[in-house]
Amino acid sequence: MNLEVNGILVAAHEMKAPLALMRQLALCLDPEDPNEVREYQQRLISVSERTLKQVSDLSKAARLEDGLFEMEPVAVRNVCDEVESELNSLFRLNSKKLELKYTNKSRLVIANHDLLYSIIYNFCVNAIKYSTANSISRLVVKDQKGHVRVSVRDFGPALPTKIYKKLATNSLNAPVDISFRPDSSGLGLFIATKFANFMHANIGAIRHRDGTSFYVELPISNQASLF
Amino acid sequence: MTSGKVTKTEQNQNEFRARSEFPTKSPIFIIDDDEMFADCIKKTIKKVDKNLEVIMFKNIIDAMNSLDENLPSLIFLDILLPGPDGFTFLNEIMSYPDTSKIPIILITSLNLEKFDLKVYGIKGILKKDKMKPEEIKVYVERYTN
Repeated sequence: MNLEVNGILVAAHEMKAPLALMRQLALCLDPEDPNEVREYQQRLISVSERTLKQVSDLSKAARLEDGLFEMEPVAVRNVCDEVESELNSLFRLNSKKLELKYTNKSRLVIANHDLLYSIIYNFCVNAIKYSTANSISRLVVKDQKGHVRVSVRDFGPALPTKIYKKLATNSLNAPVDISFRPDSSGLGLFIATKFANFMHANIGAIRHRDGTSFYVELPISNQASLF
Repeated sequence: MTSGKVTKTEQNQNEFRARSEFPTKSPIFIIDDDEMFADCIKKTIKKVDKNLEVIMFKNIIDAMNSLDENLPSLIFLDILLPGPDGFTFLNEIMSYPDTSKIPIILITSLNLEKFDLKVYGIKGILKKDKMKPEEIKVYVERYTN
């Protein structure tokens, strides 16, 4: 099967899961119970927002070469704060937490704000999905030899070696087969890799016995920081 | 002044209270890594009988470990799971006499209808994109009463 057809199949599968969940939430909702209505409304919003984000990322990935995404100095901590602010409730909803740790002195990186946001967002959503209940994932920003490294550490099953090798050799050039990692096609990671490559950033993962750290390394901007 | 003797009415009230607060039947397992989806199934089961105990698992390992302590009356099983998949679980429980009789309902987005899964004790397949709460209720009523 060619990569394009496989990519369409994978994207379709990724859309199917949240749509099936939204349908089930609507079917299970008891309109007589105001607490349940509120709770399910929150869940429906959360699932639909995540799905919309994924659709939007897919469109961006298809239009990277159209000159829509300019590279500019970006305040990396601000982007992390925005992601944390948006995903905070989702972490709570899943009985998980995200902890921020910023040790970087260089505040600006050369990147595109939207693409960088999507990469960090994808890492964090991945952490929600694969970390164990009540665990605290860590979003860390630190300086690293001419680069700023943004990493998200989760505590759950380790990344499969096959995806790890593809990331390490920068050969994740298509979503992996859907049977490869249950309930995940690696689509989010594939999109993140495409965005990172477009920004000339390095993307990678570190396997831990109790989880995975995904990271992106972005070149430091030498423009004077106003932040 | 009370005599310390429990009257028949009090005894009945205590028994009723015990039945309401503590589940009396074997639990129902839901094995699905999608917590929100599993929670929908749990709520539907509770609408059939709020005293039914429902235990949710996100992976096969935890579910298998729990089988030693709780033998469920019914299992709702997703196939695609992190780590060992649903088929690993089916093979495992079929290999023990006490677990091989447990009715299992598959909840999946895969097209499994063409496969003969009766040998695994599969009593039904619910497609995640088409299933209705009423279908869950039917299985719960059939296999827990």
